[in-house]
Amino acid sequence: MAHVVQPLDQPSNYKDSQARVDRQKQNELLAKSTTLYIGNLSFYTTEEQIYELFSKCASPEEGGGIKRIIMGLDRNTRTPCGFCFVEYYTPAEALASLRYVSGTKLDERIIRCDLDLGYREGRQFGRGKSGGQVRDEHRTDYDPGRGGWGAQAQRMEIERRREVEERYADAQEGPGAVAGGGEDWKQPEGAPEKQDLKRGRSPEDEAESERMGARARLEDDTERM
Amino acid sequence: MSYNGGGYRRRNRDFDHDRREPVHESPEQNLRTSIIRLGEVDPDQELPRLVEQICETVPVNISHVSESIRIAVTEQPFKIPHYATLIRLLHDRPVPGEESSTTSLGRQVLEDFWKGFQAYLDKLLWRDTRLCVHFFAHLAAAKVVSPQSIFDLLKSFTTVLDEFGVSHGRAKQAALCAAEGLMISGAEIKASTSANVSEITSSIQSYIESISDSKALVQPTVKLYSANDPIETADEMLEAALAALQILNSSDFAQTADIVLQPYTTFPVFEESSFELPSVLVPPEVIELDTLSTDTGEDAQTKKEEWPEYYMRLFDNDISPDPTTPVGYAIRAGLLDLVDIFEINRKECARLLLEFPKWVPHGTFKPRPGAPPQDPVVGKDWQLESTVIETILGTLFLLPDPQHKAVYYIALITELCKLSPSTVGPAVGKSIRKLYGLLSDGLDVALACRFIDWFAVHMSNFGFQWVWKEWISDLDLSMQHPKRVFMRNAIEYEIRLSYYDRIIKILPEPMQNPDNRLVPSEAPGPDYEYDDPARPHYDAAQSILNLLRGRAKAEDVMSHLESLKNTLETTDSDTNVDSVIRSIAVQSLLHIGSRSFSHFLNAIERYLPLLRNLASGSISTTSTSSLEARMDILTAVSDFWSSSKHMIIIVFDKLMQYQIVDPTDVVSWAFTQGVERIAASTHSSIGALQWEVIKSALDKANGRVVIARRKVSALRKEADEKAAMAIVSNGASMEVDAEAKPDVPEPESPALTTALKAFATLTREQKLALSRTLDGFVDCLASATNPNLTAKSVISANAWHNRANWSEAEWVTWCTWGWYRHFCRLYSPYLRNYAMTLGTVSFAKVGNAGDTAVDTFRKTWNVATGQDV
Repeated sequence: MAHVVQPLDQPSNYKDSQARVDRQKQNELLAKSTTLYIGNLSFYTTEEQIYELFSKCASPEEGGGIKRIIMGLDRNTRTPCGFCFVEYYTPAEALASLRYVSGTKLDERIIRCDLDLGYREGRQFGRGKSGGQVRDEHRTDYDPGRGGWGAQAQRMEIERRREVEERYADAQEGPGAVAGGGEDWKQPEGAPEKQDLKRGRSPEDEAESERMGARARLEDDTERM
Repeated sequence: MSYNGGGYRRRNRDFDHDRREPVHESPEQNLRTSIIRLGEVDPDQELPRLVEQICETVPVNISHVSESIRIAVTEQPFKIPHYATLIRLLHDRPVPGEESSTTSLGRQVLEDFWKGFQAYLDKLLWRDTRLCVHFFAHLAAAKVVSPQSIFDLLKSFTTVLDEFGVSHGRAKQAALCAAEGLMISGAEIKASTSANVSEITSSIQSYIESISDSKALVQPTVKLYSANDPIETADEMLEAALAALQILNSSDFAQTADIVLQPYTTFPVFEESSFELPSVLVPPEVIELDTLSTDTGEDAQTKKEEWPEYYMRLFDNDISPDPTTPVGYAIRAGLLDLVDIFEINRKECARLLLEFPKWVPHGTFKPRPGAPPQDPVVGKDWQLESTVIETILGTLFLLPDPQHKAVYYIALITELCKLSPSTVGPAVGKSIRKLYGLLSDGLDVALACRFIDWFAVHMSNFGFQWVWKEWISDLDLSMQHPKRVFMRNAIEYEIRLSYYDRIIKILPEPMQNPDNRLVPSEAPGPDYEYDDPARPHYDAAQSILNLLRGRAKAEDVMSHLESLKNTLETTDSDTNVDSVIRSIAVQSLLHIGSRSFSHFLNAIERYLPLLRNLASGSISTTSTSSLEARMDILTAVSDFWSSSKHMIIIVFDKLMQYQIVDPTDVVSWAFTQGVERIAASTHSSIGALQWEVIKSALDKANGRVVIARRKVSALRKEADEKAAMAIVSNGASMEVDAEAKPDVPEPESPALTTALKAFATLTREQKLALSRTLDGFVDCLASATNPNLTAKSVISANAWHNRANWSEAEWVTWCTWGWYRHFCRLYSPYLRNYAMTLGTVSFAKVGNAGDTAVDTFRKTWNVATGQDV
């Protein structure tokens, strides 16, 4: 398919301008990417709003889901500056977002999504001179969702919504500052069979099993089978 | 927005613009572009030009031309009649440069086209196959293809319907190939052969009859008291095709020109000998060879079972065509193909949908506003936008699941509204009102939820403008009436996408009033149980909170919790101290993580060891395992986020991800602590929230199996390749002895052993989670020891007709039935694998046969798991 129209999930010419790999390598990496850059967010949009919208492209039944969201922050003020990264567990989910969510509204702004090479330490901060995103340095219009006028006039507007803005005052830098979001399932330490067995036999569970249904019984069943 | 300088480049590409940019194409590319774009302005004028262009290309690359037509046919099916005409016209032309050849250019292209069709069929690419059948059927109508051979082709598809144990998906696709091909070419077949058209219709009919049991489980409006009543709110795809065919057949297919364009009829009748389509055999379904079975020997493959497809009707027959008529069927099928094919680009899809009238007979749809008036064609003159929206929503509301993600259809409707707000907007509004009305007439619970989802996302894209005041009178309905549930949840979902103050201010006053219990009295937020100094354990909780805020080490928090526990055991000996400790610890963790999703993840990751210990039933050590502890943790989460249900789902998801709790724990919790309890109800019930919790747990369990299976396959493939390499290199070094080499299998790699072990563990967990769900539904609806009288009464016809007087208890029980049905049909591929063991365990606990609740419960299970009913 796709001889007749261009699919919306093709990589666009968005790129990480500071990435240290060449264009071709970037494209290869993007094809396997599970991370999206989300742009044109309101400064007031929360991660929960982002989660709500982007979870509609998640495929937990395929082993996917939203792994983490990294809010883009102004380097100086530690306040959201209009972008974020959404990381899924599978590339298909990121592509689905490009097809179905990019170009629609969130918090009454048309957001745009692009595949991203993946979060690396430090990328949660804006790269503009004023600490925010470069694009807001050059913006000349009034945009109430992005702190009003461009960089200079922003300070005052930000005061207005201090409650929202203080959310990330504790944002850290350096390794480990950003949570991973949980990896794929791993065999717990210690043999799982043994654990299941104990789970079925422990005295407190015996009492529970009446209330909780046939879990313990079934576990025994599966072991026999 | 405007930008100045600074090296900022416009990044959003406008595809429409892109496509039309002048690019330097080779003559071949140029020809392909001309073929694919045929008809974009006026097909009748463009066709002769295109014929010339093809004939002027010397030497012409036949397979290139036929491939271009194949792309056009399978990706732009609305143009198929024009491509059939192109082939017809090329039959009058010799191959350029081979003027002496007896085989016309058209014939050669068609022969090559056939090879491509055969390839689609071999790969069982059903949609491409079916659209090629359309193409051949048009060519039969154009007398280029022989009537007998098209009939034989259609017959080879109906043969599939008689295969033993044919899957519904395969049968449906094959039946549609035959039915749609017959609609287009029936007149020729009937007029010029002795073929008996009713062989095809009766074959489809008997297939439809054979699947009648599964229908009741996927109809969009539910009648629990009767499985066999026809429903008026929707029609099934195959049944519609059959009905349309029977109408056509009874008039000897006289209406064909009425339903599809036949531009080839304006050219002189093709007199040469017609093309005989070779005979085909529909290849059998691919059976995955690399099967993995669970440690108990069940087949762990899960092929998505396909169900009968019921498309909802939202408008009257004079607004949108009746899909059980020939023209109505053709329009719906045409729109469905467009919606499916252009899933890759919803913007283009929306544009093409609004251009659809161009490709159907004149007068099918009302002219666009501003277009010159036309005399309405009697019995047609439908509203395009209503028809399109009805078709898209029909697809979105397929059960158990739409083909693509729901958000695709939602985004597509958004694009349509953006393209033509004044015409699409009203159709959307009417659809919402119609669906809202159906809420009191049995709209399936899963569809009611999908409706809410659509409503909220749609409103989020259009300024949350909805005339809520027209529903004010419904505030008098029972709290659990589906309409009230809809309003409550729609507002909640809108708030999730936006924020409390924004959504509240658009509601009319009576709806804003918290006394009417439609909206919460304040913005949803965390609810830390130990915030108030007057609450028990305030000091203890604050001390933990302070440690966590100061980022104390996990060990320090543990030892502090241990000492708290010791203190409590002496002072509060009558409380469950373990539970209190867990509640304090978990709620305090959530508290420091309550600022945002990321803060929550950071909090959890910092104190993972603590959470693991807590989940195992202790504090500073890992104990064996404690179900009670895990339930306490989940309950602490739901207490903390009681006014923000969305967060409960998010936190549970991550607790499973970090393996603090198992999916089965979450299911257990939903059926016990998390269950909906209505004061007047004897039994607990499952509502939308509980279902969301259960579904996220089951999906997690299933998803893990998918990953584990993928891992095993990858490792096996790697091992196979290694083995193959080894054989090659061995073969090279011991040429003489090659045959004497003993065939000893390579020992399993440690990675593969681990992967297989993980797979075994995870399939066991998957089975447990499914089993726990089935058990939970038994307890709610059909328990032998604790029979639910309401569950029995709500499924009677009398009760249903009296639903206007239902209490909360009756509505929640009706919903519980709905979620049980949804569980069975949605997870049917998994349940089938485990049908025997799951059924044996759970059904030992249901009441006696003869009890209508028990019988309904069992029948639903049997239908979903493919057992005799």
